[in-house]
Amino acid sequence: MSVVLQGLGAFFLSMVLAVFAQNAVLSRALGVSRLVKLVMDGENFARFAGLLTLVQLLCVPMAYYANGLLANFAQRSAVRPLVMVLAAGASMGIVWLGFSKLVKAPWVPEMLSALPLATFNCAVLGALLVTVTQSYTLLQSFGFALGSGIGYAGALAVVGQAQERLNNSEIPASFRGLPITLVYLGILALAIYGFTGHMVVI
Amino acid sequence: MNLEEARRRAENLEVTARRDRIFLNNPVVMQGLGLAPLVVAATSGQNALRLCVAVALLLTPTRLLGGQISRAAKLGPALRGFVYCLISSVLYIGVYQVMALLFGVDVIQLGLYLPLLVVEPLIIKRYERPVQKERPTTALRKGLRTTIGYCIVLLLLGCGRELLSAGTVFGHTVTQRVLLPMASLPAGGFILLGILCAVWRGAVAAYKHHVTMEGRGGV
Repeated sequence: MSVVLQGLGAFFLSMVLAVFAQNAVLSRALGVSRLVKLVMDGENFARFAGLLTLVQLLCVPMAYYANGLLANFAQRSAVRPLVMVLAAGASMGIVWLGFSKLVKAPWVPEMLSALPLATFNCAVLGALLVTVTQSYTLLQSFGFALGSGIGYAGALAVVGQAQERLNNSEIPASFRGLPITLVYLGILALAIYGFTGHMVVI
Repeated sequence: MNLEEARRRAENLEVTARRDRIFLNNPVVMQGLGLAPLVVAATSGQNALRLCVAVALLLTPTRLLGGQISRAAKLGPALRGFVYCLISSVLYIGVYQVMALLFGVDVIQLGLYLPLLVVEPLIIKRYERPVQKERPTTALRKGLRTTIGYCIVLLLLGCGRELLSAGTVFGHTVTQRVLLPMASLPAGGFILLGILCAVWRGAVAAYKHHVTMEGRGGV
């Protein structure tokens, strides 16, 4: 019983850590190029964040076990991104097959078109690299991946909601769009830094 | 410059702007590409230089090979994305060796932002566009221009952050006063990059206005 509770505790702790203190966007700027493009184009945040989280969760066991196999390999740092990309590709294949074969809904083609963008993304690979380089257990890795996806969705929602105000006419023309969004992200990142009090390990 | 040439420049301004990857259509400032390494890893001139080397070794070959393979195999967008990432991650094995040879253990200072380059939109963005006939020479030219444009922003931001947070540039002391310690944090990176983008965009707008006015014979 205590082992189960310990496992659940590690899972939730990693998840909460990834949502707030180690937020993918605000503390590590992971997937920020995609985030900025999504909010500027006014795309569907929830769909993108959901796909990203799903792919990330499916990648975790593959990345975890593949990294275990690389443990004694001298060139593991050089090969690791290739292994992670293969894991991400396999996860994308699973999601693709799952949606195209099992779900018959009008929104499926649109969802599948966003799948490559949500898969080959710094947020996905970044979260996987954090879990393997910081030697997380499998449960911690799942918690971190889930929290990272939730954190990304939260950052998307917060930045997306602010767009209307950030693009008003009182903002100087050269600041509108990308520059003011970056400044806004900086202020949010400063708030997270104030909350945690330390910089995350990169 | 005579009026005829000024008119020609003004008429071609939009085309020139679209093709230019260094100033008028810089990948960072105009398209928001490659932001993660800039915000977190480019905290000093040295780090920025290391990232420049990695991007230079990775970007153009990935674009070149990715374009050729995708076109030859007539791949759909999903597979194209996978192929581009696969190419960049295979190339990364060699890039990592070169980086380790050039910079030794200092490569660690880039943390996960060095391996993350393999999925960085700056490197693989091309896969999102439908397969177009891009000749190898064109891919090479555009890849090199994008690299130069990105490296300029990297070095500007890296040196600026180092100067503001430590009073040094490439490790050489410039001032004893630490002007903005926050510049080395991701938050400082976001804010300074936002300001740099605004100034750059302002300069681009002023340049475009100048060329347009010149074309109308107003200057």
